[in-house]
Amino acid sequence: MRKISIITLVFSVIASSLAIANEVNVFNARHYKADSELYSKFTNMTGIKVNLINGKSGALEKRIISEGADSSADLYITADAGRCGAMDAKGALQGGLTSAAIKDAVPKSFRTNKWVGIAKRARIIYYSPERVTGAELSGMTYEGLADPKWKGRLVIRKSSNIYNKSLVASLIKNNGKAATAAWAEGVVANMARTPTGNDRAQIMAVAAGEADIAVANTYYLALMLSGKKGAEQQEAAKKVKAFFPNQNDRGTHMNVSCAALVKGAPNKANAVKLVEFLLTPESQEHFTNNTFEFPMIDGVSPSPLVVNNLGLDFKQDMKTKLASYGKNQAAAVEVMTAAGWK
Amino acid sequence: MRINFWYISSFVISLFVIIPILTVFSSFFENTSNYYQVLKDTFLLEYIFNSLILLVSVLILTFIIGTGSAYLVSFFNFPFSNFFKWALILSFAVPPYIYAYSLTAFFENYGTAYTILKNLFGEGNYNQSIPKFDGLLGVVLSISFSLYAYVYILARASFLYQSQNIIDLGKNLGFTKFKAFYSIILPAARPAIVAGLSLVAMETLAEFGAVDFFSINTLTTGIYNSWIAFDDLAFANQLSFFLLLFIFALFILENLSRKNAKYHFNTKAGFKQKQKIQLSGKKAFLAFSFCFLVFFLSFLFPLSQMMYWTIKFPENLFDLRILDLLMNTLYLVILSSLLLIIFGLVSNYGNRVNKNKTLNILSTLSISGYAIPGVILAVAFITFIAWFDDSVIKNLGFVSIKKVFIGSILGLVLVYFIRFYSLAYNGIKSGYEKINISVDESSYLLGYSKRKTFMNIHIPFLRNSLLFVGILVSLEIIRELPITLILRPFNFETFATTAYISASEDLLEAAAVPSLFLILIATFFIIVTSKYILRDNND
Amino acid sequence: MTKNFFEVNNVDFNVGNKTKVKNVSFAIENQGDVICLLGPSGIGKTTILRTIAGLEKLKKGSIILNGKTLSSENINLEPEERNVSLAFQDNSLFPHYTIEKNISLGSERNKEKKEKKISLKEIVDLLDIFQILNKYPHEISAGEAQRASLARSLIMQPDLLLLDEPLSNVDQSFKEEIQVRLKKILNKLKITTIIVTHDSYEAFYLGSKCGIILNQELKQFDDPYKVYHLPNSIEVVNFLNRGILVPAKVTGKNTLENWDLGTIEGNFIKEYPEGANVQLLLQPEDLEHDDTSNLKLEVVDRKFRGTNFIYTLRAPSNTLIPVFVHSHHIHQHEVDEKFGIKRPIHIDHIVCF
Repeated sequence: MRKISIITLVFSVIASSLAIANEVNVFNARHYKADSELYSKFTNMTGIKVNLINGKSGALEKRIISEGADSSADLYITADAGRCGAMDAKGALQGGLTSAAIKDAVPKSFRTNKWVGIAKRARIIYYSPERVTGAELSGMTYEGLADPKWKGRLVIRKSSNIYNKSLVASLIKNNGKAATAAWAEGVVANMARTPTGNDRAQIMAVAAGEADIAVANTYYLALMLSGKKGAEQQEAAKKVKAFFPNQNDRGTHMNVSCAALVKGAPNKANAVKLVEFLLTPESQEHFTNNTFEFPMIDGVSPSPLVVNNLGLDFKQDMKTKLASYGKNQAAAVEVMTAAGWK
Repeated sequence: MRINFWYISSFVISLFVIIPILTVFSSFFENTSNYYQVLKDTFLLEYIFNSLILLVSVLILTFIIGTGSAYLVSFFNFPFSNFFKWALILSFAVPPYIYAYSLTAFFENYGTAYTILKNLFGEGNYNQSIPKFDGLLGVVLSISFSLYAYVYILARASFLYQSQNIIDLGKNLGFTKFKAFYSIILPAARPAIVAGLSLVAMETLAEFGAVDFFSINTLTTGIYNSWIAFDDLAFANQLSFFLLLFIFALFILENLSRKNAKYHFNTKAGFKQKQKIQLSGKKAFLAFSFCFLVFFLSFLFPLSQMMYWTIKFPENLFDLRILDLLMNTLYLVILSSLLLIIFGLVSNYGNRVNKNKTLNILSTLSISGYAIPGVILAVAFITFIAWFDDSVIKNLGFVSIKKVFIGSILGLVLVYFIRFYSLAYNGIKSGYEKINISVDESSYLLGYSKRKTFMNIHIPFLRNSLLFVGILVSLEIIRELPITLILRPFNFETFATTAYISASEDLLEAAAVPSLFLILIATFFIIVTSKYILRDNND
Repeated sequence: MTKNFFEVNNVDFNVGNKTKVKNVSFAIENQGDVICLLGPSGIGKTTILRTIAGLEKLKKGSIILNGKTLSSENINLEPEERNVSLAFQDNSLFPHYTIEKNISLGSERNKEKKEKKISLKEIVDLLDIFQILNKYPHEISAGEAQRASLARSLIMQPDLLLLDEPLSNVDQSFKEEIQVRLKKILNKLKITTIIVTHDSYEAFYLGSKCGIILNQELKQFDDPYKVYHLPNSIEVVNFLNRGILVPAKVTGKNTLENWDLGTIEGNFIKEYPEGANVQLLLQPEDLEHDDTSNLKLEVVDRKFRGTNFIYTLRAPSNTLIPVFVHSHHIHQHEVDEKFGIKRPIHIDHIVCF
């Protein structure tokens, strides 16, 4: 009896996975509550069920590539555009994100016909107003992080972190590999401690007095200020101020979350619909208010928490091609490793 | 040799388990490098160094904690010693990655420790004076406090079997308590302790969650990253060569110690129940303090941190569809343990009735799945299915089978099966070893067929062993992370994956709720079955 | 051709690839006969039983029960297809069932085949195991386990019952009583039985035939009386520890001459030419004590054996000779004293080699 019921169960699982339904399958490496809320909203509006598989980008990519043309994946959504570029390079994506709705909404540098940016974060410098003067910061750039005046005062994440890899890749694209290698050595020399912890931990290290400046994404400070992380972190966040580097040249480095259309997607049309939905002003506003990211489309403002505390008017780096983040990633790792960046 | 149903079943089961394991090895000999050699050399050294430091530190720590607490509760009576006897195994309920979340939550800047100090002494900059447990140290602590119970359970079992006689002998020779422990009790328990330590070592090398959380590069995460992120099989190959060396050494060690460990269990004659020594005063306090500290650090601390967060951020509790997660977790647990138990039994019986060398070697190989880190096994499974589908199934003109195995409950359960088969197989085997072969023969002579002997004689007898194996496997699956993460179907989350996903997005407080539930379910499982885990009497 | 109920023909008995006993042949003529196999431990008696039961395979010879071949080079019936029961020497009770359940499992087998000749209660009374019926195997003594195991095999009423040292763990005081009851019940139920034992008295009492297994061979298979009194080889003599062999010279049709004891008369089992030098089997009961005799030997040792004494005497040639003396014999001879032996010496069956 038992065996029979197991067999039935197995077959029902197989059958259900083969059944055709009005759905879209998302391989999702962004795990925010705000995202799932948007997916539910999408389902309510269109009747299309959003099937989610959450995971780390690397594992999801491996699975999409192994499954090849038979992959059940329609969309791949991840928090770093470099990864969408890399997937494209491996031939795992297909064209099709070409509808007018998409083209009209997203600036050209943030999309191809295979993948589209859906939200942005700036990777900025946080500082302690008590210990860092305005003069010291004036005209500050990412390049300036290697300046010996910051010796023992800087905290930043590990070199294995994707945000750092993208930042360094963009530096390589702009300044060349040799210059960036020297820069990385300077940064390592300036570190107040061996890299540890996530972006929020870097901000808190500045708040706690372990360091004077930190490199982290905008998203985190707003999150801490929102009180969603508790009173202590809110208090800590108030001890830290944000600074947007490279305002006098190419602009602040942006991390772009992207949605990519997977080759062989069984529900291509639905996938396009979902991407279009994520780019509507309502969805974009939902992002900005909950994940504190910057909108991908014009006409939507960032969250007041971001605007009031970080300032709205800053120059984003629109010049450096997103694709170069993916292309220069290996070189970035090489440069950081050679410099002894843990 | 007659080929019978049992032979074929055992053969097929073993073969099935071995195939993906072989895939792991064979894919490491492909060469598709596109990665810089300088980097590899740097990383290779770092990975080996980290793995070694991690391994050695965890072994030292688990040895001290596990053996020390086992010694105290087995030989002495002190306040709450009977409570600690089973309370000390509760640490099994806290997987290393949840321990890591707790460590970070408590000690980070503006973390729980800061809040406590602030509430006690008012405002102040306490952050600088709070020690930070992260990085390698954090991983060592997380793994040690979660896994010392392996050493504790085996050491304690061995201590229990030491008869009063050898202890009296020590006294007779005029040994002090320390000398008696050091030169009599410890050496006699050595095989059991080594067996416990090698389990710890295998789990440490395979550890993914905690290591990933603290972004420490070990051989396992290194293989994962170079394979998955960089498609660099050649480097993954190099790394796994070293990992395999480690594992191979451990495997041999474990097998040897298991063989030696047997001698405790057949010296029933002349066994004299030990008299526990009553401790009082300062000594009782010290013994109590040690056990309490271990219990507190390993279980109460992570439990209360997760509770604290759940209470502090209650919205996370309501956001989570706890019933769904519970059903999913139980679904996997029940399905997998049933499969493991049924096939573990069949395979064991097959080996028992067919004393066949090929089969023996095959089943020895097939239990090596436990030594291969889950994250690597999962990827190997996908690789194998993809290869098999593309080069065999499709060439034969059949419909692709990828969807049946990848991203399905079936695939997930199959890989669990491969990973935990050795637990089931060995657990049932040790139960089987207690049934004299003449019992089977009597049964045949009473006219029972092999099938009837199996159903009517063995299964009822093995009831307790099967329950124990079921619990062991269940605990593993409740905590399991990398395989579930990589292979689960759409919209399917467990407590472990929910916790991990939240934690990886720096939403530790959201990870607290699923973590708390995971701990509670695992604790429930442990408490219900503690009497099987801690077998006091010689049965 | 007379048809035997059970036959073992030219069988080599093996454990795995190792031959334990070679080229064995014997037969049980009638259903209900009980035979015993005797031999030192480790010689392969158990292997013989296991092979007959079908637990070991055979490579040479054949085993036939009631006209049906159980084992041969080509045929090997599974144990469960044989209706042969084996009671193991060690505890083979099912550990998770009570003794009662264990025994009743045995009764399930031939339920439909025969009208029930023996009930559980009868067996329980017979073997006196009433008080352990509700206990589990690990709660009872080795002797009790053996009796329970015996009960389970008996109640099955198999075509052939194999008992491996069935009473080795039973208390000495109780053993003889059980032997009597066992013999009775086997007779009553007409269960053909092969008993393996190292206790020759048990074998002689229970078996209508006895086989002696020594040095990988079945040395002798015969009536107990013949095995006892007419051993067919020196090995059998040594194994039964029946006496000593002394050198002698055949001096006539009914006489021999020994250097220590002088003339010995009696009936030769085998004929020897006059003047032949032989080894004469001298058993303790062959010599009689006589204080008045002029044949006096020195006492070296005296063992009290309850019903009798065994004196060990030293003959002039330094041979040590055992002699039985009735226990009630008043005059006891101390060590170093002289001990008279009645002459002429008469031995009913003269066994020589």
